[in-house]
Amino acid sequence: MASDDELSLLLIVVDVNPLWWGRKAQEEPEFSLSKCIDAIMVLGNSHLVMNRNNRLAVIASHCQESHFLYPSKHWKGGDFASDENSAGSRDGKFELLTVANDLIVQEIKHLTARTQVRGQQTDTLLAGSLAKALCYIHRVTKQLEAGQEMKSRILVIKAAEDCASQYMNFMNVIFAAQKQGVLIDACVLDAESGLLQQACDITGGLYLKIPQTTSLGQYLLWVFLPDPDQRSQLVLPPPVHVDYRAACFCHRNLIEIGYVCSVCLSIFCNFSPICTTCETAFKIALPPVLKAKKKKPKLGT
Amino acid sequence: MTTSSEDVLLAIKRVRQKKQDGILFLMAERIAWTPEGKDRFTVSHLYADIRCQKISPDGKAKIQLQLVLHTGETTNFHFTNESSALKDRDAVKDLLQQLLPKFKRKTNKELEEKNRMLQEDPLLFQLYKDLVVSQVISAEEFWANRLSLNSVDSSLPNHKQEVGISAAFLADVRPQTDGCNGLRYNLTSDIIESIFRTYPAVKQKYAENVPHNMTEKEFWTRFFQSHYFHRDRISMGVQDLFSECAKLDDKGLKTMVGQGVKNPLIDLTSLDDQTLDEGYGVSSAPSSSGCTKSVKETSNTAIIKRFNLHSAMVLAAGLRKHEPQNEQNSETSSTDGNSRDSDFFQPPLKKVKLQEAIEYQDLKQENGKKTIALTLKKSERYSHGPVPVQSQPYTTSQDIINSVNYIKHEMDNYTPHLNHVLSSSAASSAITALSPGGLLMQGGAHQAINQMVPNDIQSELKHLYVAAGELLRHFWSCFPVNSPFLEEKVVKMKSNLERFHSSKLRPFQEKVQRQYLSTNRICMIKFENFGQWGLNDANLTGQKQPKQLVSKVQYLKIKEGEGLRNVDLLRSPKHLNSALRKRNSTILEMSANAP
Repeated sequence: MASDDELSLLLIVVDVNPLWWGRKAQEEPEFSLSKCIDAIMVLGNSHLVMNRNNRLAVIASHCQESHFLYPSKHWKGGDFASDENSAGSRDGKFELLTVANDLIVQEIKHLTARTQVRGQQTDTLLAGSLAKALCYIHRVTKQLEAGQEMKSRILVIKAAEDCASQYMNFMNVIFAAQKQGVLIDACVLDAESGLLQQACDITGGLYLKIPQTTSLGQYLLWVFLPDPDQRSQLVLPPPVHVDYRAACFCHRNLIEIGYVCSVCLSIFCNFSPICTTCETAFKIALPPVLKAKKKKPKLGT
Repeated sequence: MTTSSEDVLLAIKRVRQKKQDGILFLMAERIAWTPEGKDRFTVSHLYADIRCQKISPDGKAKIQLQLVLHTGETTNFHFTNESSALKDRDAVKDLLQQLLPKFKRKTNKELEEKNRMLQEDPLLFQLYKDLVVSQVISAEEFWANRLSLNSVDSSLPNHKQEVGISAAFLADVRPQTDGCNGLRYNLTSDIIESIFRTYPAVKQKYAENVPHNMTEKEFWTRFFQSHYFHRDRISMGVQDLFSECAKLDDKGLKTMVGQGVKNPLIDLTSLDDQTLDEGYGVSSAPSSSGCTKSVKETSNTAIIKRFNLHSAMVLAAGLRKHEPQNEQNSETSSTDGNSRDSDFFQPPLKKVKLQEAIEYQDLKQENGKKTIALTLKKSERYSHGPVPVQSQPYTTSQDIINSVNYIKHEMDNYTPHLNHVLSSSAASSAITALSPGGLLMQGGAHQAINQMVPNDIQSELKHLYVAAGELLRHFWSCFPVNSPFLEEKVVKMKSNLERFHSSKLRPFQEKVQRQYLSTNRICMIKFENFGQWGLNDANLTGQKQPKQLVSKVQYLKIKEGEGLRNVDLLRSPKHLNSALRKRNSTILEMSANAP
């Protein structure tokens, strides 16, 4: 039972890549971005309701930007009565939940409305969103009163595929999260993500690839709602075996045994006498060459 | 009689023991007595066994020495030589006094050390119980490796910090007036120790006189009465116990001055009083030498000399341990100085200090090694993650536009319906997948082994494993077999291992088999294989069996198999003995023989 002073911050990073969602929605109309957002709102509300001290934040990870859906800059907090749009809570819900839900909806609408079509930017800016998340956590930690402790975790809901060019940033973010003690959980909708598997393994979070996207809400509530402290008491899906193999620099194949240049540390799957990255020449011991025996000229008998 | 290696330190004739005349011998490690005319020692005691010695009081006619052993026995020696009985006895007593402490500490120390080690490490204690108490290996072998490791460590903590001497110890002995014109001095053992350490001459006097000539009280009374102690040690007329000490002290002071200053660069002037100018504050008039000094001046110089001496001796007492080294250093430096130019006649410490003051490392010439810069041609390779290059699904620009528009349209019309997030069928299918045994819960079964095997079995297995490891360590340390001792040890270890197997492993195996495993036919076969040490067979048959049984048994097998695999070597004694007899087996061969 967490003490009253302990804060628990859940930060949800949603992948709202319009290309992926648009294509997916055209293939399977029953699961769309709106259903996903609904499920996320249910999770967020549940988290806020679990404990009076719990906090929530939602970041939308787009191709062009990472945007905070909640808490939003545009929200002037505490001013319910004077707000024209929302006349308080319409259905008797906890005020905070109403505000959160409304904000999320509002922000996602604004975000998608200002999406511009650009051909070359088709990858989700996941590393950037995670970096923003860590910054937010850091800021909130600094704003705590003396004596308050905060435990935070990031839940990544990933739709599109991994982007290889974000690898360095991604790894930096993961190690920063590990240092800060922030867990990274991952809920993957479509393609298995090696980077997120590594992130979950390193920071101690949970990785789950969902077989049915229509039951997303159930998976979120069952697996990702409980606090990390409580997870040891629950029977949850076992950790995935993470593939930590490196990829060779020449073909980008994942290899277990390879050749490493001792000067520039680049990895190759085959031996080559000159390292293509740093142009150092290497010699390898060849098997000893047997000299052909000279036939002694027979002495004349 | 004596073994050839013992040296006789002292031999006293005309010593009676139990009404018999004889000769008393003191050797390096024991004391022994033989009756007159005989060859054998009838009485022999190791110094280690002797707890203490007692001597008869001085007044008595019989001059005796008594040895009390640890066991409580006493042995009396009566010295009957007319002329030198007292001297003999005292010689024996002194020698014993020196030798006994050395031996006393050693034996106690060993036992204490062993006990301490056993108490501190419960694993070690358990191992000891398993192996030595049940007589699998002897206690000496057990301690052979361990004591040697720890005796090095134990010597270190014995270096307690040396306690220095307070310079004011003599002043602490404040005399109190006794009322009737006398003075009382309170002496604690600390003060006495300080006096002895500072003035070794006094210690010598004490050792000579107490308790023969006078009691301790008398000694100290004389000490305080003597002019040696009092301030003005001018009048040397009175013959005193301590006048010799005064002479020795003077000599000591002269030698100290002769040694010279080791570090002439110490800034002594920083200790001086700061004066405004000559003549103000501090009188700097040079003392005129040659004129007769008044009585007051002589007493002042005497006091100052006393103070100097006292401080010097206090410092010297603290450094006395390092004195031999210091003397060597000063000797070499002085001989160097005499034989060479005055340039070289600098104490080494001064040189070092001068060097430090002159040189700055930054200002020296850079003699760094030449380095080659790293040039990378294709550095973007590093930033590509271990994501294999996959063929991306081809998205035309039309697809992109379509998707974006679709999403825009959808989000425009988006209102959250939080009541309809889940249908009950979707929810229940998700729950099924997440329940134990479901789609997503595969791979969690392997954790159950820990819970399946009960704790006491686990701990017993651990103990057996550790004990087997210990035996094997002894066994393998004998190779390569270079000496007959090792050969014996190998054979002994082989028998030990077999004994261990029969007395410990087999019953355990049978217990586990009886109590915890079901009588599955395949399982019984498996255990028979196990018992016959044919581990290779078991590996092959293991694939066909149900997972849980296999995993359980393999868990046990892995724990015991590592130990037992080595013992397979011993199953073919012919093999081993022939190898030993040949004596040209290398480690490679021996390990090749092991499976």
